[in-house]
Amino acid sequence: MEHVALWIAAFLTLGIYSFLYKDNIWYKLCESIFVGISAGYWFVVLFWDNIYGKFWVGVFPPKAYNDAGELVNSAEPDYLLIVGAVLGVMMISRLIPKIGWVSRWPLAFIVGSTSGLYLINYFTSNMMRQVEATIIPLFGMNYELSAYDIIGNLVIVIGTFTGLVYFFFSKEHKGWFGRTAKIGIWTIMITFGASFGYTVMSRMSLLIGRIDFLFGDWLGLIK
Amino acid sequence: MHVGKSTSLYLPQLFFLFLFICNFLLLSLVYAQTDDPLLNSEDSSVAIPDSELVVVAPVTSLIAEDYKYDDGKQINLSWVPSIDDQLVGSKVLGYRLFRIIDDGKPELLAKLRCGANSYSDGKLKSESVYSYYLEAFSKNFIATSTRTVPISPEREWINFDRKYLFLLAFIIGGAVIFFIESARRGKKLFVRKIAGLEAVDEAIGRATEMGRPILFIPGILDMNDVQTLAGITILGRVSQQIANYDTKIRMPVSRSLVMTAARETIKAAYQTAGRPDQYSDDMVNYVTDEQFGYVAAVDGIMVREKPATVFLMGAFFAESLILAETGNSVGAIQIAGTARPAQLPFFIAACDFTLIGEELFAASAYLSGEPKQLGSLKGQDVGKGIAMAAILIGVLAETIGTAWNVEFMNDVVRWLTILFTTQ
Amino acid sequence: MKREIPLLITFIVGVVLIVSVFVPPTETLGEDFSVFFDIIAVFAFFLGGGNLVQSHFSKARKRQTDWGYSIVTLVGFVAMLTIGLFKLGNPGGISAPPTAEGSLFQEIFDFVIMPLSATMYSLLAFFVASASYRAFRAKNREATILLVAAFIILLGRTPFGMLVTGWIPESFDILQIPNMAIWIMNSPNLAGQRAIMIGIGLGVVSMSLRIILGIERTYLGGDD
Repeated sequence: MEHVALWIAAFLTLGIYSFLYKDNIWYKLCESIFVGISAGYWFVVLFWDNIYGKFWVGVFPPKAYNDAGELVNSAEPDYLLIVGAVLGVMMISRLIPKIGWVSRWPLAFIVGSTSGLYLINYFTSNMMRQVEATIIPLFGMNYELSAYDIIGNLVIVIGTFTGLVYFFFSKEHKGWFGRTAKIGIWTIMITFGASFGYTVMSRMSLLIGRIDFLFGDWLGLIK
Repeated sequence: MHVGKSTSLYLPQLFFLFLFICNFLLLSLVYAQTDDPLLNSEDSSVAIPDSELVVVAPVTSLIAEDYKYDDGKQINLSWVPSIDDQLVGSKVLGYRLFRIIDDGKPELLAKLRCGANSYSDGKLKSESVYSYYLEAFSKNFIATSTRTVPISPEREWINFDRKYLFLLAFIIGGAVIFFIESARRGKKLFVRKIAGLEAVDEAIGRATEMGRPILFIPGILDMNDVQTLAGITILGRVSQQIANYDTKIRMPVSRSLVMTAARETIKAAYQTAGRPDQYSDDMVNYVTDEQFGYVAAVDGIMVREKPATVFLMGAFFAESLILAETGNSVGAIQIAGTARPAQLPFFIAACDFTLIGEELFAASAYLSGEPKQLGSLKGQDVGKGIAMAAILIGVLAETIGTAWNVEFMNDVVRWLTILFTTQ
Repeated sequence: MKREIPLLITFIVGVVLIVSVFVPPTETLGEDFSVFFDIIAVFAFFLGGGNLVQSHFSKARKRQTDWGYSIVTLVGFVAMLTIGLFKLGNPGGISAPPTAEGSLFQEIFDFVIMPLSATMYSLLAFFVASASYRAFRAKNREATILLVAAFIILLGRTPFGMLVTGWIPESFDILQIPNMAIWIMNSPNLAGQRAIMIGIGLGVVSMSLRIILGIERTYLGGDD
């Protein structure tokens, strides 16, 4: 059985790689298998994790027994979860065109909660913490820093400052403002270059993994 | 393109519901047995052998304090470990923490390792009274600490630890609202050109002239992510143009909720353009929740349908490069935007225009051209101004303060640090 | 009314969650609402999954281009649903998790989804090469800066970097590629990341306020 499964995996792997040449029957077949099976997989996992694991177990907690077989205190039912189920049922009202507009209510709930939740989260993690971390003594607490570190600190402060200038919407990038924004975009380009260079090798290792599978596990050429 | 409704339209969904109901009936057959860890605790009354007693001292200064600024659910404990609790050759093997609720029987709350000097007891009830004691144990001896004074966790209604967060959020949020109101009253607000957004009209026009579709990809996360929300709001603006020009749009999505929101958005655009019959639900279709399954399908759509324009707006992960490169290979003009810095370099390399971070969230306001929307961008600039001022003042103050030991400068730094420290 | 009530819901929920950060008794509302979202998302799947079935079924019925592949998709989808929901071939039966070891559901994941996913992911190795070729043609100053930074970081992470610049004396060791790479990651890269992140934080605040106040309402659709 495992031998058959190995061949199926190899067939699917090579089918995806055939896309690099051009779109073809093999790739289309693998794509359709991927879409169908993965869509089914995720629905099942989400169903058991959320509808059963969170909703059903939350509203109807299972009874707990100790080793002697006696019933002990189980968790209290969380009836608030029924609100989630009601919103979910409202979402399905889209199936009936006459009352389909009711599905906007759970959508509005989700959009409102996402906006409210992330407003403070992003404000603290992305704005406040980054500003706090950028307030540094350029020469160190006791002048202990080397020229290398001092230049590094200067670059951090100037780079962050000019990067923010680049993102300013209210002023045209002209004159001294434009020159400052230019330094900002150069800093941002270094950031992008660093990210790019950093991930290139890890992308190569993904390919090595698949080659190892094909030549090692499947064909047995690599021991 | 209008698809006539048929009676089989909802049969698939009804089939689903049938499967779902069957499973609900099966669920009722499932029971679980649980192991309550507290019930499996060792009996605390250990028999002490007569000879070779390893006597240890109990912990001291055991204090129970209400955790401030919570809903009355937590008590924090702190103590000085036993003097026999050493890093090397410790006679103490560990501690057992006991809790007494409302003068009831002691229950084992936790077993702690050597060196432990604090513990947080959460999920309490503010109506109950709690007291605690600790046992330090060796291999054959137990030393019990004195019991803490009974305490009830208190509920506080306002978290004053976060007053500075509130202040800053109020200032910046207030600035956003102020400029929105100013714009609503007719004040002219200047916003500089953003290259990627200026190209949107041209990109849609190109697709219209070529008679090829526009492909809109809203990322791979669900509606509970801000980047997806940003992508859908941009879709709202783009689809208004598409409806006006009667250009074809194709939108494969990775989440069902995104499909629902996208359909509402595009349908509204066609209604506003006075062409409701040109809208079809087939413009937006669900593919799969699986990240790379979605990518495989979208790649297939790109090479087969050869869109003239591709919009990649939302949250992307590793698949960003695959999508952008495939779009590039079919000759599409690509406008991308994401707030994930790790993926931006790939969009920069493979796309014609890229919206960097903040520009993604500003895009829908920018594209609308409405003064009150543009007003919110001014509010963002106020926030940036505050950040820049804080950095400049903070760094100067910190540098001068440490270099010449100027107390005033040190106070400025201290104040800025308190202001920007989050709890 | 079909738009007004949803706008009101968005406003109330948004404001409640912002206020809950400062009011301890309501601090867990964010987590509760996240659980609601998880439940709603599964219900929404009936719409998405139904759309998947309906679009592929329609394609197969009308014998449109590539209709055969639609049948493959449908068969895969229905088979996976049936196996997973009813836990067929699961050694633990109906009470075991669907992804239990040895279950048919998990086996299909291991030998179909995993290889397909891993292979799609590995395509990045090819695409990053083609993206690099295009990006590194350096048509302007910004592209040149990106190219140089990427090159230094790339070399710095391989033994080649040390090989090329290992001869540089210790007093000028900052010019050795691995050290330059470290400095770039710790200084200008950090600066750029911070500027982008601060901008994102403010952008989210602005967009969230526009949505909560009902200024941005395209996601709700029209009046119908």
